[in-house]
Amino acid sequence: MKKILASNCTPLIVTVNKPNKILVKIYARDGIGSEAFYIVDAVTQYSGGECTPAPKVKYVNNPSNLTDLGIAITEMLKLMPHGKKCILFDSVSMLLIHIPSATASKFLHFVVNKLKLSDVSGIFLSVEKGLDPVVMAQMSASVDNILDFEQVSSTGCNL
Amino acid sequence: MNPRMTEQPLGLMNDPTCKLPSGDIFRKIFEKIQTAILIIDPESHRIVDANPIAEHITGRNRIELVGSMCHQFVCPVKHGECPVIDYHEEVRNQEGTIINKNGENVPILKTVAKVDIKGKEYLIESFIDVTDRKMAEERQATLIAYLSESILRVKKPLELMSDDLRQIASLAVAGDYDAEDIRMQLQIHANNLDQIVKNLEELKEKAVTEKPVDIPPEFRDFLRGK
Repeated sequence: MKKILASNCTPLIVTVNKPNKILVKIYARDGIGSEAFYIVDAVTQYSGGECTPAPKVKYVNNPSNLTDLGIAITEMLKLMPHGKKCILFDSVSMLLIHIPSATASKFLHFVVNKLKLSDVSGIFLSVEKGLDPVVMAQMSASVDNILDFEQVSSTGCNL
Repeated sequence: MNPRMTEQPLGLMNDPTCKLPSGDIFRKIFEKIQTAILIIDPESHRIVDANPIAEHITGRNRIELVGSMCHQFVCPVKHGECPVIDYHEEVRNQEGTIINKNGENVPILKTVAKVDIKGKEYLIESFIDVTDRKMAEERQATLIAYLSESILRVKKPLELMSDDLRQIASLAVAGDYDAEDIRMQLQIHANNLDQIVKNLEELKEKAVTEKPVDIPPEFRDFLRGK
């Protein structure tokens, strides 16, 4: 996140993992204020938590609701200021709890295409070997790079 | 085709103890062998003979088969694209398909040999139906696909959840937590566990019923090493 912000890029976090409220606290501990990023939150309502309205947050009722998730991402990208934008998808591995890998693959392909058309960067997080070869092959065809986080950490490679 | 038959076709006929006329012996073998055989005239592309197993696999009787053009009738390749006659390729234990009377493609394993019969060249196309083997391969692919999907949708998320629960536990130990934050995260994990149980039940049901429709064709090809 720090590297994204340092490159003057506005991040949009799409979370199917941790609720907005908790993410804000985690980033605040690292000195990143909530004004620095936008969030599409698909788990707060799922957890029974309160969906407190906020200008930089959109809620989706359930991580399996891909239609609303797609709409929320599109709307949020429009709301974001002009300039460099980046999506941080957290995470593909957790999304697979809610939808089959074939459906996830199609959805991610849709999101990547949308990002390309809008000239927006994207980072899709997944655990190591957490994607089947087909999803990986389809993602590989659409994305610019697949980075191993351990390798990135050890080589100091920037995302 | 047994190579001994092609290499030593006269051996049996020269056997002094053999009392049957050679034509009868080969006709009996032709009729009784559990491999389908079509004899094809390469000049006209017409079938000149077919044995009962060929009749069984194609679903056409000998009268329908004999005299018919082989391509687009029992063979799916187009006229002028025969691998043996037009492209001079060797066909030995090759996987292929044959069209049956219902227009269905039947998976076969075939060998085509050229033979000279009374000074004229013919093609002996011998094949076996490998539908059962294909079904077994399909079943194996289905089960591996569901196993893989189970790992993706169950094992990996459980590993992530396990890590996350440890973090929540460490926060609780340190006393550095907000009760609602902990509740929300635990509720998410509880909901995820419910969903994982549903996934397992769904995957088990699909694996038992072996619904091949749910396997992406690319994954099927990947499993087959294509």
